[in-house]
Amino acid sequence: MWLFVLGDLFIFLAYFVIFMIYRRWDPTLFLGSERHLDLAIGAINTLVLLTSSCLVALGVGAARRAQLQRAARFVQGAIACGALFLALKAFEWVRLAHDGYTFTHNNFFMFFFALTGVHAFHILMGFIVLAVVRRELRTDHFREHVVVAGAVYWHMVDLIWVVLFALLYVMR
Amino acid sequence: MTAAPDRTGKRDLWICWWTAPVFYLLFGLIFVLLTRVMPPPRPSMSTAQIGAFFAEHRTTIQIGFALLIVVIAGSAVLSGLVAYQMKRMSVQPVFAYGYIATLAVGAVPGCLLCAISFLTATFRPDRDPHQIAMLYDVALLSFVGSLGCFAAQYLILAIAILLDKNKIFPTWFAYVSIWQIVTELLAAPVFIFKHGPFAWNGAIAFYEGTLLFGVYISCFIPLLRKAIQQQPSERLPA
Amino acid sequence: MQLSFNRRITLVWSLLCILTITSWLLASARGHREFSPSTGVTIGILVAVVVKSRLIIQQFMEVRAAPNWLRHVTDGWLALLVASILALYLW
Repeated sequence: MWLFVLGDLFIFLAYFVIFMIYRRWDPTLFLGSERHLDLAIGAINTLVLLTSSCLVALGVGAARRAQLQRAARFVQGAIACGALFLALKAFEWVRLAHDGYTFTHNNFFMFFFALTGVHAFHILMGFIVLAVVRRELRTDHFREHVVVAGAVYWHMVDLIWVVLFALLYVMR
Repeated sequence: MTAAPDRTGKRDLWICWWTAPVFYLLFGLIFVLLTRVMPPPRPSMSTAQIGAFFAEHRTTIQIGFALLIVVIAGSAVLSGLVAYQMKRMSVQPVFAYGYIATLAVGAVPGCLLCAISFLTATFRPDRDPHQIAMLYDVALLSFVGSLGCFAAQYLILAIAILLDKNKIFPTWFAYVSIWQIVTELLAAPVFIFKHGPFAWNGAIAFYEGTLLFGVYISCFIPLLRKAIQQQPSERLPA
Repeated sequence: MQLSFNRRITLVWSLLCILTITSWLLASARGHREFSPSTGVTIGILVAVVVKSRLIIQQFMEVRAAPNWLRHVTDGWLALLVASILALYLW
């Protein structure tokens, strides 16, 4: 799993750098476009995802102490946070589109929708990963490496969002 | 049900395997050096510039793509080989059949449409420039934009590998396959943009995607070799 | 100070939240100049990104207990990330 996580981190690194290059070519446009984002939703979403990561970490800890039911509940909580994140994101997207800020509006929004879109795809994949982890926790002889691998993936998704929040919402 | 045919020895498998490196070498030669499709010329070129592009590369385009049409069977043999290995997995053979089917769907828009469009564009140099420009668009939009067809293929392969208890391919390769899906998704916007990172010649839609595909193929060919080597000769799947 | 696992994770989470809210405030509390370029704010949020990222990597992903090569690669990734962003922002 670390191969995937590292690879994904470097792939996203390339996207971030490309974003910054285009930003450099038109900083006024990018900064002006940020104005139309809802900073509150972005920040709240960050907190939601950080919480989900915390729950996953606590879940791994519980699993190691053989408190499997508790661990499964933590993972369940993380999935719920992920769902909340996507709901807020969908709301944000719809509102932006409604106000006329769509994927093709300008370079900033092109990146915004593409990057948050790919990230959302990773969250969807994350649901599958966490579901696999939860199922593993319900078996008699659960394999710790499966649980840890799933956790590492989910933390990666959180990590990428932390960077996205900085680049898209609060960079001035 | 008839008994499985008596098959021993893997010479035929090795012949099939060799089509992989040979085909991809030719593919690279054709698309990079001869036809100039990789990296792609700009979507923002004017009609006159497009006409000039075809005039300049007419001969090599014709040689390159005529050659591609002849050797395209190589990719079919390769997907047959992969599917054959997938049948050794502990998962149902439906994955193998799905793999073949998605590649069969993908081959036409994936490269043949580009080839035929370019060949048509160079066939009659005195054709109306706007028609030539349209052929140019069809070719490159299908070449880069058809990546989505392959997303299903990568998904099937990834799921099969992850579920396979026989470990025909290593787990990490499933993840490499999943990366391909991500890059396919990011190639979808080529139908909208004529410049920028999501255009058909863009940093994200084309370059990063192609780089990762290179990684994928560089891993896949040796992994297939290993899978064949590890295959027990006495019991070959029907 | 030896913290229990749960205590440590929760503490990390609190720090991450505080840093997030700090970035939020940093970016928004400038009144009518909120959307004018500011190197100070950007550097501030980049510092927050470094700290948050490293916390997630080391504590949540447990890289602090991982083999050396993994620690180096993840630190390298973070360094490369912030260096590129900063370089592209400043020049």
